[in-house]
Amino acid sequence: MTKRLMLLLLVGLLVVPLAGCQGGRGSHRPDPNTLYVGSVQSSFPSAYMPWLSREGIAPTIAGMLYDSLFSYDEVTDSYLPAIGKEWYYVDEDGEPILTADGSIDYARLEEIYSDPKYDYLAVKVVIHDNITWSDGVPLTVEDIYYSFDLAANHALSNHAGALAWTSDLKHKYTNGVLVQKGIFTYERGALEQGYYIAPDEKDTVIYFHVNKVLGAVTPLFTSVLILPRHIWEPVVTPQNQLNSSAPNEELLYRYTHPVGSGAWVLDTEQSGSQQIVLHRRKDYHLTKDDGSPLYAVDTIKFVLYQEQNVAIYALLKGHIDVLDSSVSSNYLLLFAKEKDLFVCNAPGTFTQTLVFNLNPVTSERNPMRNLLANAEFRKAMALAINQDELIKNVLDGAGVWASAGLMRPTLEEFYNPQADSLLPSDYEQRLALANSILDQIAPDKDGDGYRLLNGQRISFKILGTPREQDVVSFLQIQFQKIGIDVQYAPKGAQPESTYLYTSKFDLTLQGVIFSLSNVDIMYPAHFSTLGRTSNYGRLVNEQLNAAIEEMRYTLNLNRKYELIKQIQPMIAQVYYKVPLYTANVISVARTDRFTGYQVVEGATVLNSASLQNLRRVEGR
Amino acid sequence: MKLSYVIKRVLYSLFVFAVVITLNFFIPRIGVADPAERYYPPQGNMSDIEYEIVKQLTREQYGFHVSTWQQYLNYLKGLARGDLGTSFRPGSPKVMDLITERLPWTLVLSVSTMLIGLIVGVLFGVVAAVKRGRWQDTLLLNASTVMVALPSFFIALILSFYLGFEWEIFPAYTDSTMVSEFAWTWEGISRVARNAALPVMSMMVGSIISYAQGTRNAVIAVTNEDFVLTARAKGLKTSTIRYKHILRNSLLPIVTSLGMSISGLIGGQVVIEQVFNWQGMGTLFLEANQTNDYPLMMGIMLLLSGFTIFAILVTDLIYVLLDPRVTVGDKR
Repeated sequence: MTKRLMLLLLVGLLVVPLAGCQGGRGSHRPDPNTLYVGSVQSSFPSAYMPWLSREGIAPTIAGMLYDSLFSYDEVTDSYLPAIGKEWYYVDEDGEPILTADGSIDYARLEEIYSDPKYDYLAVKVVIHDNITWSDGVPLTVEDIYYSFDLAANHALSNHAGALAWTSDLKHKYTNGVLVQKGIFTYERGALEQGYYIAPDEKDTVIYFHVNKVLGAVTPLFTSVLILPRHIWEPVVTPQNQLNSSAPNEELLYRYTHPVGSGAWVLDTEQSGSQQIVLHRRKDYHLTKDDGSPLYAVDTIKFVLYQEQNVAIYALLKGHIDVLDSSVSSNYLLLFAKEKDLFVCNAPGTFTQTLVFNLNPVTSERNPMRNLLANAEFRKAMALAINQDELIKNVLDGAGVWASAGLMRPTLEEFYNPQADSLLPSDYEQRLALANSILDQIAPDKDGDGYRLLNGQRISFKILGTPREQDVVSFLQIQFQKIGIDVQYAPKGAQPESTYLYTSKFDLTLQGVIFSLSNVDIMYPAHFSTLGRTSNYGRLVNEQLNAAIEEMRYTLNLNRKYELIKQIQPMIAQVYYKVPLYTANVISVARTDRFTGYQVVEGATVLNSASLQNLRRVEGR
Repeated sequence: MKLSYVIKRVLYSLFVFAVVITLNFFIPRIGVADPAERYYPPQGNMSDIEYEIVKQLTREQYGFHVSTWQQYLNYLKGLARGDLGTSFRPGSPKVMDLITERLPWTLVLSVSTMLIGLIVGVLFGVVAAVKRGRWQDTLLLNASTVMVALPSFFIALILSFYLGFEWEIFPAYTDSTMVSEFAWTWEGISRVARNAALPVMSMMVGSIISYAQGTRNAVIAVTNEDFVLTARAKGLKTSTIRYKHILRNSLLPIVTSLGMSISGLIGGQVVIEQVFNWQGMGTLFLEANQTNDYPLMMGIMLLLSGFTIFAILVTDLIYVLLDPRVTVGDKR
């Protein structure tokens, strides 16, 4: 009987493997014209309404299916054509305010708009005249009017993000009623406003009134993906809002069958929760200089992986061409042993900082935290930070030193090296200086060499994610050298409401990214505004606030640049957000089928430049 | 089985379910001043005024603008209609739709694992008990010790790497079109079987060991009972004693264990699903958690709790059928 049982058992165990055996070992990348891209996510979205896409891969896909007016090049602080071809600040007659060489005449702009009768800046945008939606319908300025008007009208869009994007647009609705008109086309009041548009330009010219700040156009140009009016207008009503919690079938169909103006179109038949297939549009209006298609790949197939190790192994085994996720520097050694791999070790844009809670609300103050209010104490802690050691130990060398002014040195035109000349560069010298400062503030030490305050060891908790524990460990070693103890404290799932907005922390790790495109918003959010902003430590510095306000509101671009440079040493001097490092973005691609991958700052290997430069490997 | 006992158990289960519904509604709200903040966390480029407008819109959209008690009543009304609420995901899908989309795929893994685990585990357990002290028994005991130390994700990764990637015997992860192209044909079913092979194998190892150990211990305990000695004294055949007397009487703990397993059928295995790209309930819950989608979390939790209560009720009733001496809660 036992033998029979054992036999049965063996048969049972064999059934599953036999059922599961691979039918064949065909190629995992069968189509030579398709780029197979692995993406580490928990799931792919099923709805592609661009404004609703804010998690996981959804914004990337939305950005490929839809275009905004322009894209922004932060190195040159300029706007690159997308739907829009060119744009100008204009005077009250709609005439561009330009110098003789065709660039923006900021002096005249300032002169005209310093008149208090204007509470806006007028902007003219000219779009390409050969754009069509993916269903073949021509794209005109009426689509652009519709998109911005919808974004500003809460009663129709019911969309939170759209409010933020259009907050600088002087086109306002109250309870679904237009109370201030700030968008003008040939058919929508341009002439009445004094802006002449010739009949043959009626589909391509649009005017905007925006807030009187130079940064106002950035979110309008780059954040609002333009929607096809002929698709959405017939179904979006106050009862059937664009972002509806109970979308009807017509809305749902539009969410899942996107019609966009981008370079790619979704294959709705083949796409699902585990793969997304995009085909290149043959009629996309942007091309290379020689007239050839902008993108060399015909089809991109995104394949879902829920576990990063599996995705990396899938890449190494040739199941996919590219892994569209940044990976830890721990994998660099593994990649070094492999052939046919392109490891993209791109400079990062995200700077890790250590933030001091220097001005907690009254109820959260204590003697230890009072130390953090002392700029000299913070300076001593900043001196003890050795960025080179952190890059070597935490990032395995895959990172770069970050400026104390928190502007990336790669932005050569705007980076101010003065911010980094405030403290000595030699680490031994820095430690000596830090200890001499602390000897004045807290000279007593315990048996382990830690400094004492009122007989108690000076110790702070650093909030971080579990992944950031190693950063805290190395900071622990560095601060030990000046007699200050730091400990890791978990941030939890909602650090803002739990700790940061309520001043319930000593120090926290925070990633920051400052560029020309975001300083108008990010400088106040990080250094001026109190409340629910990224100014967690509640810095109040009048000199810095004044500089930031002037930078935001000046209409003289040169003055704005000058102020951005002046603000950097100020940021460095308050020792509030002290830089630790800027980590590289490491990603990887196979080179056995496609080559020409490009390294782009802050981006993975699957970036727009790579897609434009990829070419098939001959003979494969 | 007494009808009064059944009614009592059913009423008790309904009461527990009502408590679960209430807790399920209120627990996610504990410590949350404003649910809209969970849906729409503060954005760096929003002023306080803009953020207030955004939150108000969100409250209205998801019904947070009325009092908590009114929300609770609306929630109960929705449940009565079979509506578990609306997810925060783009396109605002219904929670019930998301669950019904994923549940069958979780059941494919969990039911296969449970059945294989039960059949093979019971057989193993019986063999180990009969061969007590010999290599079969030692093998089971050692395997149990090893399995306790080996986490399932480790087994899953090892199986995926070797049987999937290196030797290509099974798919290393789920074919990305398995779900979207599924059809009730032989080809469709065998494709699911192919893709399910490694996840099921990863899960069934632990399941087999667990059932085997339970069966072994139960069989050994029953073997030492007086009635078995009596049967032997009566001169009954060994096989009759083993299968009619010992195994049948060893079923009670196995039924309990099975009942507990049934309650876990629909929860999914987060790590296994992640490693093998399996779109099941485990990853759905994980996604809900990662995106603060708490209507979806509440829906899944309610379904899991309801199913567990139901499984326990059924187990209790079967228990009574198998052993009429059992009268839980009966004070006589």
